Amino acid sequence: MKRFPCLVRQLVAAILLSLLLSNNANSQSVLRWGADPSGGAPYVFTDPANPDQYIGYEKEMVDALAQAMGRKAEFVPSDWETLMSALQRGSFDVIVNGFEPTTDRAQQVSFSKPYYIFQLQLTVRRDDTRINSLADCKNRVVGTLGNTAASRYLQQEGIPFRTYADPIGAYQDVELKRVDAALMDVPAEAFYARNNPKLRPAGEPFLNGLYVVGLRKGDDTLKAQVDAAIDHIIVDGTLERILKKWNLWNNAQVEFQNTIRSGNKPEIAGYVMTNSTFNWREALWRLTRAALVTVLLAFGAMIIAVVLGMPLAVGQSMGPSWLRSVCTIYVEFFRGTPVLVQLLFLYFGLPAIGLTMPGWLTALVGLGLNYAAYESQVYRAALEAIPRGQWEAAYSLSMSPVLSFRRIILPQAFRIALPPMTNDFVSLFKDTSVAFAISVWELATAYRELANASGQFLLLGVAVSLFYLAMSLPMAHVARLLERRLRERSTRQEEAVEVLAA
Amino acid sequence: MISVNGLRKRFGTTEILHNITFAVPDQTVLGIIGGSGSGKTTLLRCLNGFERVSGGSIECGNIKLEANLSPKEYRHRVKKLRLQVGTVFQHFFLFPHLSVVGNIVEAPVHVLRAAKAIAEKEALELLESVGLKEAALRYPESLSGGEQQRVAIARALAMRPAVLLFDEPTSALDPRRMASLRTMLRGFVGKGHTMVIISHSLGFLEGLADNLLYMEQGDLVEFGPTDQVLNSPIDPRTKDFVAQAE
Repeated sequence: MKRFPCLVRQLVAAILLSLLLSNNANSQSVLRWGADPSGGAPYVFTDPANPDQYIGYEKEMVDALAQAMGRKAEFVPSDWETLMSALQRGSFDVIVNGFEPTTDRAQQVSFSKPYYIFQLQLTVRRDDTRINSLADCKNRVVGTLGNTAASRYLQQEGIPFRTYADPIGAYQDVELKRVDAALMDVPAEAFYARNNPKLRPAGEPFLNGLYVVGLRKGDDTLKAQVDAAIDHIIVDGTLERILKKWNLWNNAQVEFQNTIRSGNKPEIAGYVMTNSTFNWREALWRLTRAALVTVLLAFGAMIIAVVLGMPLAVGQSMGPSWLRSVCTIYVEFFRGTPVLVQLLFLYFGLPAIGLTMPGWLTALVGLGLNYAAYESQVYRAALEAIPRGQWEAAYSLSMSPVLSFRRIILPQAFRIALPPMTNDFVSLFKDTSVAFAISVWELATAYRELANASGQFLLLGVAVSLFYLAMSLPMAHVARLLERRLRERSTRQEEAVEVLAA
Repeated sequence: MISVNGLRKRFGTTEILHNITFAVPDQTVLGIIGGSGSGKTTLLRCLNGFERVSGGSIECGNIKLEANLSPKEYRHRVKKLRLQVGTVFQHFFLFPHLSVVGNIVEAPVHVLRAAKAIAEKEALELLESVGLKEAALRYPESLSGGEQQRVAIARALAMRPAVLLFDEPTSALDPRRMASLRTMLRGFVGKGHTMVIISHSLGFLEGLADNLLYMEQGDLVEFGPTDQVLNSPIDPRTKDFVAQAE
């Protein structure tokens, strides 16, 4: 028995040593690349047949690039909206994620040579005859991914659009008529929409753009290596093979790769570069609109919560046993599962049984149902805090149970419940931010998208915080006034009596 | 006239009241005495329907509560009974969110559908009769125990009950206030009320109750005119209790 701890110590030392060594070796020969794999087909995504592995044409391409550079590719799963900041923080060395060079991005990162020519494709419902080109979308809403060539193009053209975190959500909302069309890069469109019998392409692909590798500014050695590797896999036909395998080979690629192979530089000027136009006036206007949505969500959800919470509380504390169980199950379900999961379920799950709500309504109802569970517990505690004697006093005066509840118990319980209700309302204000998961343009979504588009995380963050405070502080103030009024009523009445007597 | 016949009350398998029989003639006062846990309060709670009788019957006016009634019929009769029986609880249970007047007019306005102005006028008269007119607009929390009790009495009286039940009305009072309460309650008899009063204070009941009922461990030990129960009790247990109380 004495030998055992010694053995463990040796084992730990060995593991630590090997970790140290492998770490050292890795930094020499590893190419860490970042991309967003969620809904990321065909770029990089989780292999459905083998869920702990990633596949995709860019995955294969980076493997080839790394091999050409004498390195080993290591994928760092990340989030599309924060790719550039993650790159700058050093979470990985390069961005390879269908990344388009734009002037605003150029201020934050540098770009490699292009490796792919992409186009945009508009998709509509198969039975929708109104839309045949983007020009038909002037007064409709188009779904797309946030901070992409497509979203920038829509913004430039002044077409209303809603942004999604992945193509699946956008195409599903086209099907469910939550949006009228979706605009995506052709690779995503080919993978997610082209074989969907409920959807059809509207018009031809348009706008030739470029995909490049994104690098940290000043990482010039790495940039030279990446550029050389891109040339290498184009010239030796590796990239062509990969693109053909993924059905991404087309005339634009033929022309582009032939230019490279003949030793010429491709005419960058011939390709479109979309631009995000950011100015503070527009940003503040969009934030204001988002703030209004936040207010609508918070108030709407609170009304549902307050109204539904009461029958839940009464059912749970006074109902027959079957009703108690039903109410308890409701409360435990909504308290015990994350509100984010509930929203996703309502938004994406319910359409399966034919119940389709727009995003804002889903968020409003979802938050309302969730907070009803919390409010019911506030009410229940308040109701149970009223002494039994109050009921009996009311009954002894021949008041019916309903009358006793309404006139005697409820007003007293309300006073007890008011402070925790206020508290919940303020936290509901902030919880509206989960609505970004279902593409509702509220404050948190607005912050995320505007800040990612502009890089103004700090200033926009301050602005958004001010918006939240401007909404929650008056709320808290009103609640305090109400509480004080209830508390001070008796003293004020006494003063009134004194005045009368004088 | 309240008549109680062979009343039994069980909680689960434990019998709290055993075969209680007595009557309270109209416009008289019955005092109930006995040690803690003797069943006094349970008996009072049977009289206003808070506890359902397990055996025997209670008759009050033309309403009869019996053990074998269906729950619905029992509830129905309790509802009628309570229109005739007012209760003043030991801890008063005033409604803290309502003013003194609000406490008094609540039931007349919402149960009897009395006009608010008339109910308020009557409430002020009732307050005057209990000597609290100046407190009309105050809230219960700012009243002393004795004042709260008088509001509770006025609140019960506002429903014009024939019978008033009191649970330990003397527990929060000093001797001087006890005397003035006794005078007030005596006056109610003259106005046509019948009363049942639980009290630990034999002195308080002596000049007030027409009859006394002594209970011990759920049994009715002695029931008779106050004078007789206090001065020449039949049962030795009553004699012991009276002797110790004095």
